[in-house]
Order: sequence, then structure tokens, then C-alpha cells
Amino acid sequence: MGLLIKAEFRKILTTKMWWAMMIPALLLAFGWAWGVAALTNSIVSDVSDVDIIEEFNISFDDLSWSVIALTRSMNIATIFPMIFGTLALASEISRKTITTSFLTAPNRGLLLSAKAVTYVIWGLLFGVVIAIGASIGTAVGSESSYLPDAGQWLMILLSGILGCLLWTLLGLGLGALMGSPVGALVILLIYSLLVGPLGDIVLTAVTEGSYLAGFLPNGSANGLTGSTASQVLATQVIDLITNAGGVVDTDGREQFEQVVRAIAGAPGALALWLSGLIFLGWTALFFVFGILRNRTRDIT
Amino acid sequence: MQDGSGRIVVQNLTKHFGQVAAVQNLSFHVEPGSVTGFLGPNGSGKTTTLRMLLGLVTPTSGHATINGQPFARLGNPGRIVGGVLEAQGFHPGRTARDHLRVYGAAIGVPDQRADEVLNLVGLGTAGNRAAGGFSLGMKQRLALATALLGDPQVLVLDEPANGLDPEGIAWLRTFLKAFASSGRTVLISSHLLAEVEQTIDQVVIISRGQTMYYGPLDDLRKQQQSRVLVQPADPQKLVAALQENQFTNVSPTPDGKLAVVGATLQQVGDIAAKAGVALYGVHEERADLEQLFFRLTSGQYTGQSPYGAPPPGWGAPQQGYQQPPQQGYAPGTPPEGYQQVPPAGYQQAPQPGYPQPGGYPSTPDGFQQPGTPPGGYQQPAPGGYPQAAPGGYQQQPTGAPQGYAPGGQQAPNPYAPPQQGWGQQPSGPQPVQQPPQDPPPPGEHTNPGGGAN
Repeated sequence: MGLLIKAEFRKILTTKMWWAMMIPALLLAFGWAWGVAALTNSIVSDVSDVDIIEEFNISFDDLSWSVIALTRSMNIATIFPMIFGTLALASEISRKTITTSFLTAPNRGLLLSAKAVTYVIWGLLFGVVIAIGASIGTAVGSESSYLPDAGQWLMILLSGILGCLLWTLLGLGLGALMGSPVGALVILLIYSLLVGPLGDIVLTAVTEGSYLAGFLPNGSANGLTGSTASQVLATQVIDLITNAGGVVDTDGREQFEQVVRAIAGAPGALALWLSGLIFLGWTALFFVFGILRNRTRDIT
Repeated sequence: MQDGSGRIVVQNLTKHFGQVAAVQNLSFHVEPGSVTGFLGPNGSGKTTTLRMLLGLVTPTSGHATINGQPFARLGNPGRIVGGVLEAQGFHPGRTARDHLRVYGAAIGVPDQRADEVLNLVGLGTAGNRAAGGFSLGMKQRLALATALLGDPQVLVLDEPANGLDPEGIAWLRTFLKAFASSGRTVLISSHLLAEVEQTIDQVVIISRGQTMYYGPLDDLRKQQQSRVLVQPADPQKLVAALQENQFTNVSPTPDGKLAVVGATLQQVGDIAAKAGVALYGVHEERADLEQLFFRLTSGQYTGQSPYGAPPPGWGAPQQGYQQPPQQGYAPGTPPEGYQQVPPAGYQQAPQPGYPQPGGYPSTPDGFQQPGTPPGGYQQPAPGGYPQAAPGGYQQQPTGAPQGYAPGGQQAPNPYAPPQQGWGQQPSGPQPVQQPPQDPPPPGEHTNPGGGAN
């Protein structure tokens, strides 16, 4: 197993794919975070300047608005680890290097396990790189008063890294299942960039704010980060209101969180831990079937 | 665990891809210390067999083992068996050395082994080049280098000479011989006998997924019988005289000569002189190994020679002559002349899905196929193969050339129709007897008896 993991690492490091994916992931996370942070800045300051808000003396400036930049940028950048994972086995199958890989491994199960372990590590690596890019972008683009505190920041980064890891494995599984890198990539990219996000919005809107979207792969994945962000903001808002002498019940909090989730790119998402479990389930589904398919696949 | 014997055993191996039977009940074994050629035409099941041996394809039934174990239970297979397979891939952007270091790591050999095998296969200077820029021959060398990484005991090569230049082929030949002579095992497939003839000691010849011949190459060579082509003044008289002298295998050639199998020039000359038949020309002709191979494997797609037919009276012993007549001898021979049986004749019916030969003349009216082939011929059990006596299962009674075989010792019906060998050989216990029938349209006649499943 150790030998095979070493071989898998060499497979990755002796070709250009890893940095051809990691550099754009870093840049996208950074740029997206910067852009969203700047946009949030101007929207929030515009809204704060509205007379009614000022009259009621609600200080939006005390809220950590930049969590939205963090989550959105990490969500979008996950497509790179996802592509990376999708190509892990699918490109070996299409390039026929899988023949040699199977010939030099004690058995298929061991090789596929070694691949899984290797891509868990690489998924985490991608997650860390993306987290760094998103953090720098947010720090650069956001007003310092909108930045969350270190604990909240770290929480969002961790949920984003977990998302990267799971997307990597989901891609690996779908690629292994389909055996065609082009087919698997087209499906995943169209889903994660177009069908998923739009579908989540439509689904949430049509079902009047149900959590249906949160059960889908994209919704649950975005829910990982989005729900973390909404939790941060909701706590702060409730604190504000409570300090001002108001009372917020659980329904009120839930409604508010839903709105923030939608802003953070995860409409209809469930709570953090539920989203994580659901996305883990989706990943496991594709991953397990992909691996099973390749335990018996005839390599011709 | 594996027994370290270096033996390859293929036992009753069968593989169906959907409806297509790629390999049928194939059995043979390969001993260490020898180079065994695995020969058959394109699509005969060679690659599938080798891939089943290497655990890449799951057999439908039967098993293939190396060192007494299936591939997945060899422990660290890279140390035991090296495979050079067709269409083995390389990442186009990875250098040759990196490729070897990747798989060297998987096997667990030190990194300098990559450079050793690169030099061994003559790619020492190309180690830093990306495999995507390699020629076919260089890729073959790199595939061989990969197979040799773990210094394996067994080498399995699928058409390794493809793309190699003559120099490369010569080198490969020397290399494999040296490899085998160190007590290790080599199994090498090819669709060209000539390509491997000088390399191999043993040969397994398959066609349509079944074993056609299995044994030492030398025994196959011994089977090459010569025939004498003679142009007599009075063919009838000479044939009669020859038959008196026990030379019954005589047939006319299209250009008006007689072909006498199993006799020497002197014998034919003496007999002719005694019989008072003038000879206008006489010479000896030998079939080479390639023709023998062609005869053994013909008929897969094109059908056998349109003149070949299953022997009437199959199992009938043929005196003194073990060899099936060479189809390659006289390709132009008209049907009446050469009632020969290409070995394909005792094969199973063609697999469904194979293109049917189109150019067959249709069955003559009212033809009844005589004789039932002994069941034992249908699927020779591996154990039953006399290794040293290929004649034992090679032997095909030759249809006596009608007109010259008055005795008709084994030919109830010398007019075997041209194409019977293909579809009408029963694949199992099905009756061979064909009811008289109208000539079926071409394309149907291959499967009239339901012999093909």
C-alpha cells in the first residue's frame, strides 16, 4: 500500500496537471474573494447609508459581511479539485496506463485504495491552497470591520477544505464509474456550474424556501460553507437585536439564515453538519460505485 | 502463495464478450526455460487470452495461472511476471524515466533500476524525453523496459515486434532467447509465424479462440511433407501404378499435373518407368512453416480456401499419411481436384458475430454430409494433447481425389461440397447428418445444422 501510494504521488508529480489545476484554483479563489468582498463592501455601505436603517440605529458595520466572500470564492474554486479528482482514474483508463498500473499492483482493490488515499491527501492540499487564496482575497478586498474573527474564519475555511476533499473524491468516483474523462468532466462541470446552482435557486424559490435543494449534491456541498457563513452572520444579527432590546425566536433566526445562505450561494441548504453528511453520502455513492466498477472491469 | 516454478497454465479458458466468444476452452501450458510462441490470426483471441492470464480480463470460465496462482494472488506480481501488451499506454507528458520510476515505486525496486532497464532496451539516451514523442518502436521498448523493472521470472509479450525495426526485432530475438535460457519463461504472441519462428521452441497456434496446435515447433516442422509434382503422359495409368505402390494421395493440379504426396522424386520416377508412363516433368515441392501455419489458422474470417471441405469419412484412418493436405499447395486447385480438409474442419462452428464468408458457392443440391467427426476432435482436452506427437491430433484424413481413388477407402462421398468445413461441423453432439436440401443462399449455408449457437 505504501509503495502504491508513493507510485500514485509520482504519477501526479511527474506530470503538469497538478499545478495546472492548483494555480488557477489559487487565482480564482483569490480573485473571486477579492471581487465579492469589494462588492459586499459597497452594497453594505450603501444600505447602511439609507435613512431608515440609520434611523433605527442598526449598525451593519459590526457584522462580518466578508464571510460571504470567503464562502463564495471557496465554492467556485472547488471545480479545480473536482476536475483533478475526475481525471484521476478516468484518464488512466482512457490513456490505458491503467493496464500497467494493474500489472504492477498486488491486486485491484489495493491499487484503488491507494488512489483513494492519495486523492484524499491531494483534495486536502487543494483545499488548503484555495483557503489561502480565498483568505488573502477577502482580506485584501474587504473592509477590516467586516472581517470575521479568527475562529469564525477558520471554521469557514475548514468547511471549505472539507468541500474540496469531497468534491475531489466525488469526481474520482464519477470518473471511475464512467471511464471517460471527457464525459465525466462535461457532466460535472455543467452540473456544478450551471444546473446545480440554478436548479438550487429555482427549486428553493418554487418550493417556497424548502430545504429540497440542500439534499442535492451541489446544494449540500455549498451548504457546507454557506451554512457556516450564515451561522456566523445570524449569531451576530441576533446579538445586535438582543442588545437593542428585541427578541428573536428560532423561526426568525431560521428565516434569516436562509436568506444569508442564499446570499452566500447556498439557497435551501441545511445546517452545516447535515449538509456535510448529505454531501458525504453523495460522494460515497459515486466513489463506491466507481471503485466497484473498476474491480471487475475488463481492461481490453 | 505462488510456487516459483515459472509455469504458465491455461486451463479450459473461455471468454465471451456479449455474444462473441473470443476464447473457447483454450488449454496449454508454458514451461520455464523455453520461449513459447502464441500464434493466431488477428482476432483469434490471443490478446484476450494473455489479458486473462494477467488478470486484466475476467474469464467467463476456466482459469489461467502463473506459478500456480491466478494473477491477483501473486503477491507482488511485478516481481514475478512482466507484461508487454498491445496498446499499453503511456502518459504523453511523462518522460520515459519518470514512467519507469512511477512503476518501479509500485513494485518496490530502487530508482536506479529505471536507468538500468532503459539502457537494457536501448533507450538510455531517451530517458528524459516525454513518451508522447516516442515512435511506436520506442514505445515497445519502453513497454518492455517496464515489464523488466521487477526482474520477473515470466515474460508475457503481446505482439512485441509491432513497430520494431529489423534491428530491434533481431535484438528482441536475442534478448528473449537469453532470457529463457536463464531458466525463465517467455510467452510471446504474434500473428506472423515467420516473425517469431527463429525465437520460439514451443508453439501454441490458435484460431477462432481454440487451440489448433500445441507442441514443439520442431514437431510442426517434421510435419511438413513434400509432394512431387509430375506431368505424365497418361495420368490414369500413373495413378493406378502409384496406388499399387501404396501412394494413394494423388491429386490433379489445375495445370494438368499430378501431385503425389509422401513420395520422393525417385520413387515416382521408378514407378512411372515400371508402368511405362512417360514423364514430361517432375519436381518436388515443400510447404514451408508459414504455409502450415496458414493452413492451421485459415478460415477465421475469410473461410478456408473455397476448395476445402471437411473430409468425407472423417475419422477414417489414413494410411501412412498423417498430414492434412496443404491448402497452401495449390490455391488454385478446383474443388474436384483437392478434397482437402483444412484443420479448421474440426473446429467448432464459427462464432456468431463473425463475418460470414461471402464468396462461397452454395451447397450443391441434395448433398448429404457423410460421416460424423469423432466427438473427441471437437474440443481436444489439453491433457490429451500428445506434446511430442502433433500428428495425433493434426491428422486429417485426406479426401481422396475422386476419379483416382477407386477404392474410396474413406470417402463415401468424394464430392464434398466446397464449404462444408465452416459452418456444418457440429460443435457438440449435434447430428452432422445434413438432410438433403436446396442450396441455401450464401450467407446462410454456414449454419444450417444449428451447429453454431
